[in-house]
Amino acid sequence: MWVYIARRLLWLPVLLFMVSAVTFALFRVVPGDPVTTMLGSRYNEATAERLREALNLDRPLAVQYASYMWGVIRPKMHTVRFGEEGGAEFRAPFLGLDFGESFRFRGRAVGPLLRSKMWVSLQVNTAAMVVALGIGLPLGFWVAHRQGSWLDPATVAAGVILASIPIMVTGPAILWAGCLRLDLIPCSGWGGLFDARILSVMLAMGIPGVAGFVRLMRASTLDVMGQDFIRTAHSKGLSGVAIDYRHVLRNALIPIITILAFSLSGMLTTSFVAERIFGIPGVGSFAIDSLFNRDYPVMMGLTIIVTTAFVLSILAADIAYAYVDPRIRYDANQGGAA
Amino acid sequence: MAFLNRAPAVGLETRRRGHLARAWSRLTRKKIAMACVITLVVLYGSGIFAQFAAPYGYTEPHYDRIRQPPSLAHPFGTDRQGGRDMLSRVMWGVQNTVIITVIAVVTGGLVLGVTLGLVSGYFGGRVDAVISRVGEFSAAFPEVLLMIVIAATVKPRLLVWVRWLEDNTFMDNLVRVGVQDYVAISVALVAFSWFGMARIVRGQVLVLKATQYVEAARALGSSTPRVLFNHLLPNSISIVVVVVSSSMGALVFAEIVLGFLGLGIQPPRPSLGQMLLQAGNIETLQNEWWMLVFPSVVVWLIILSWTLLGDALVDVLNPRTR
Amino acid sequence: MRRLVPVLVVLMALAAAACSGNRDGDVEETPTPAATVESSTSMEPTSEPDDSAAESEAPAVSVGKQGGVFRRTWSDPPTLDPALVTDTTSAGLAVEIFSGLVAFNTDLELVPDIAERWDVSPDGLRYTFYLRPEAKFHDGKPITANDFKWSLDRAANPDTGSPVADTYLNDIIGVDAVLEGRATSISGVKVIDDHTLQIEIDLPKAYFLAKLTYPTAYVLDRENVESGGRSWTDSPNGSGPFKLKEYRVGERIVLERNENYYRTPANVDSILMNLAGGQAMAMYENDEIDIVGVGLLNLPRVLDPDGDLNKDLVVAPPDFTVSYIGFNSTMHPFKDSKFRQALNHAINKELIAEDVLSGLVVPAYGPLPPGFPGHNESLEGLRYDPELARRLLAESDYPTLSDEDKRIVITVPGTGGTIGLDLEVILQMWESELGVSVEIQQVEWATYLEDLQDAKFQAFAGLGWEADYPDPQDFLDILFHSESSTNHGLYSNSAVDAVLEEARTEPDVARRMELYREAEQMIVSDAAWVPLWYAGERYVLIKDHVNDYRVTPMIVPKLKQIYIE
Repeated sequence: MWVYIARRLLWLPVLLFMVSAVTFALFRVVPGDPVTTMLGSRYNEATAERLREALNLDRPLAVQYASYMWGVIRPKMHTVRFGEEGGAEFRAPFLGLDFGESFRFRGRAVGPLLRSKMWVSLQVNTAAMVVALGIGLPLGFWVAHRQGSWLDPATVAAGVILASIPIMVTGPAILWAGCLRLDLIPCSGWGGLFDARILSVMLAMGIPGVAGFVRLMRASTLDVMGQDFIRTAHSKGLSGVAIDYRHVLRNALIPIITILAFSLSGMLTTSFVAERIFGIPGVGSFAIDSLFNRDYPVMMGLTIIVTTAFVLSILAADIAYAYVDPRIRYDANQGGAA
Repeated sequence: MAFLNRAPAVGLETRRRGHLARAWSRLTRKKIAMACVITLVVLYGSGIFAQFAAPYGYTEPHYDRIRQPPSLAHPFGTDRQGGRDMLSRVMWGVQNTVIITVIAVVTGGLVLGVTLGLVSGYFGGRVDAVISRVGEFSAAFPEVLLMIVIAATVKPRLLVWVRWLEDNTFMDNLVRVGVQDYVAISVALVAFSWFGMARIVRGQVLVLKATQYVEAARALGSSTPRVLFNHLLPNSISIVVVVVSSSMGALVFAEIVLGFLGLGIQPPRPSLGQMLLQAGNIETLQNEWWMLVFPSVVVWLIILSWTLLGDALVDVLNPRTR
Repeated sequence: MRRLVPVLVVLMALAAAACSGNRDGDVEETPTPAATVESSTSMEPTSEPDDSAAESEAPAVSVGKQGGVFRRTWSDPPTLDPALVTDTTSAGLAVEIFSGLVAFNTDLELVPDIAERWDVSPDGLRYTFYLRPEAKFHDGKPITANDFKWSLDRAANPDTGSPVADTYLNDIIGVDAVLEGRATSISGVKVIDDHTLQIEIDLPKAYFLAKLTYPTAYVLDRENVESGGRSWTDSPNGSGPFKLKEYRVGERIVLERNENYYRTPANVDSILMNLAGGQAMAMYENDEIDIVGVGLLNLPRVLDPDGDLNKDLVVAPPDFTVSYIGFNSTMHPFKDSKFRQALNHAINKELIAEDVLSGLVVPAYGPLPPGFPGHNESLEGLRYDPELARRLLAESDYPTLSDEDKRIVITVPGTGGTIGLDLEVILQMWESELGVSVEIQQVEWATYLEDLQDAKFQAFAGLGWEADYPDPQDFLDILFHSESSTNHGLYSNSAVDAVLEEARTEPDVARRMELYREAEQMIVSDAAWVPLWYAGERYVLIKDHVNDYRVTPMIVPKLKQIYIE
């Protein structure tokens, strides 16, 4: 197991190198460049030349790539502070993680810029996910045990009917009702996780999630309940509660974990529509605007961060698999399941 | 949970009742399923035959009837861009959705994803490693960037080819219909959708592979394809169907995001996703509600029907719940 | 210089249709993507600068109106470094936090700012500025001529990487040497003493002072810039009426009153800018912001005299923009002017302006906007005349062209399939009146710009043009002279070229305008473009308790005079 994890972690830098190199190259392939976009109608060769020089875009591609990556990996002392001023301080050398300076937001380092945008998206997605998982999983599990009762189809149908309404309708409708009519929540804007304004997004994004997880959890629970080993457990006389939690729940969660791992990395584009409707300064719209402005450093930074997050979440899913289902073993020699 | 507590004691009876109950609920769901099928047939039919079914052309202007609320002549109202009939535009938009759903399901998601997932999970080892690594690369890669690349490089070339086809064969109007857009969209969708499905199927196969009946099948000398497609696939089907049917909703979003990155269908051809995106704000809801409500209802019906139908299909397809 | 405006965005903003991450018409200056640029040189100094200029200082608002918070929406500024500012979003903040020698007031008159007065040498080449001795930075440090000298040198330095130093400072002698890296100090900028600065320019230019109102020429605190590293703008020590109190990316910017301000300090305590945005109109109605631009959809509701919102309505004057459809006159079928004329005559612009765009635009028949020098009321435009259009089409070589040559693709910038409300209607009109079918290709902005510069498009739309200085040369010469690099349609007409060239050197103003009118008429009759719209009046809602907020067609410092009751 540990060897497997180690192998996967060793694969990460290779993947990062490949993805970042391809990203870097692709940017030079597509038409349009940051300087043309920056200058617009003021474009003239001399100014463009000067700007390219100032932005180091005149150097050979390999040098540009190498210097960018060197900034990212060059070790540097990081200071981590716990608590307010005067709290415990730790200093440790770690990768430099210097993602350069944005072309579009001149004078701003990409790292903090991305961090603040991603933090916002993370909060929104977490809030929505809490709603979705918190209601969806228990409800799905419960409903799976209500086979035959009217509750089962009713819950599923209600969930589906709600979840099928596009967010372009639920969003404005929630705002219209909650803000203009009832005056319960502010109409728009962003104030962080513990601000009333997150409620509308949480609802609009969470409700479809609830229905999705109810159905997934229900299907997956039913699947497990119909399997031989559960029947065996029943016939062995194990108590229902024990079977429920030790076997059914565990196994039913397996497919959910995969979905979760993927929805983490899909954060970038999925919240894009919601961000526009609710006016949330998240990473979705930011990434797309950066792309349209050919903000190379931001896109590179984003690629590296998203790739890392993706690989780690996949790995986490694999480990979780093995944890919830002891039959799955990752063989160090084979790299697959035995 | 109370249900299961009683289960061991009265196992046989419960199972019989469960069976009956399941059969009953399957029956009711099948009614729903039939309703879904009918809804989908009607909607998809109106989309596919929009050319004949739509009361007006999707660009046909009525300058004297700009921005009118629903009326007998225009049940869905008219839009601002020259008073075009919204009903007709919605029908043409459905056609767009039909094409995209078919593309998405047939290409990346289903065929490629399921096959590779089965193979990857079943063989494990090197095969699994290669498929997983390639998948991770394609999934980790920022898709927005790749879409821009496709839009900028593949699409113009496609346009040239399609033009050539138009000029040199009997096929006309290919460009107007948007063939090049659909090809570009399918390339983009395949590139990203297969791996998600493959992972899910692989996970399921990993579990199933360890069960006795697969071992038994192998011991009995079943060929590998037979084990894969006769034993593993049917047992993984429920999760596949759930994922596919619930991803129908995501497709509407996928289309919006694609359109935003320059990969969507080009105007003036209508698309439900773009209609929703443009109308999805309070102002429209307050002032031109029909611009938002009617396309939304249609999208809602499509997603709803697919989802409910998917649920019904799980019951019918899954051997263990049959 | 001039600017290219993606009109698509502007129109969509009017439609309040939630478009491409931009604000939905909430800011009356309509921030546009980073590629577009705002310039402050579009106004000639309206008051002759003389020694008595100090008196033209805007009358101080009566005291006792201090306090309060002004709330509005804004976007994340690409930069707060005045030397790098190219866009309205950044400029709107930079002009409040920083300041320069001269400024425009809200009536768009050139007024003294840090320079309390100035002399101009008789040949119009040497400007001597006398700085206010009481002028201070936010931290109380006095502002001297050396600070200006250093700031201008820095702005022109290639290491600073300013995209606009060339545009706004190039009249000053020695700026090109610094830009090219041959010098580090601008030879035309001299410090006479602590409070006297002398600037020499290459030719007498009436608009030179106007260029100095742009943030590129603002004064910076050297110590602040050099000690702050590349993130010095996080805590800028400016000289404007407001200080940057808080900036949370994507959330809010808070400006607070600068008590050390050398002129009448601001009335309001602070300005709260909501950067997150979203449904601006709803925020206004919910009393979360004090000002909002009115989008197309809300216009009827706002204009209704019985509505609650009508009392807040402010009508702002239009700015000098024209939007158009460009043709590449070297490509079929646009080679034939008859075909181009037919397309022009087939569009019912009045109908589109009134019914589709709710009267927010004015139909345009020539490039020069109303009120702009050289605008010709009696211009013979190509008006809506379907009969004539069909006849011209029949006479043109279009019917004889091969299918391949008949094919028309019109390229628009942007994404998301939203191509502007007007364009779809125009294409329908061409189709129904002439049977000419046109395909639309939408490409994203960066690609669009590059292909536009390479003149790769057969036809293009979604663009507007706005002059940076009020001279028809900036429209006609720049856009239609066959050798101009911004003649994206490669329009070439030797007769037009000749008139334009004659106008360049014509000293007599009246005669010069006459020449431009002549050129404009030729361009219009030859149908080089389809001119579409001039900007119409803009509608803005401002809360009752906010007073003295002036809606201006360009970015000027204006927040200090507002007061809250």
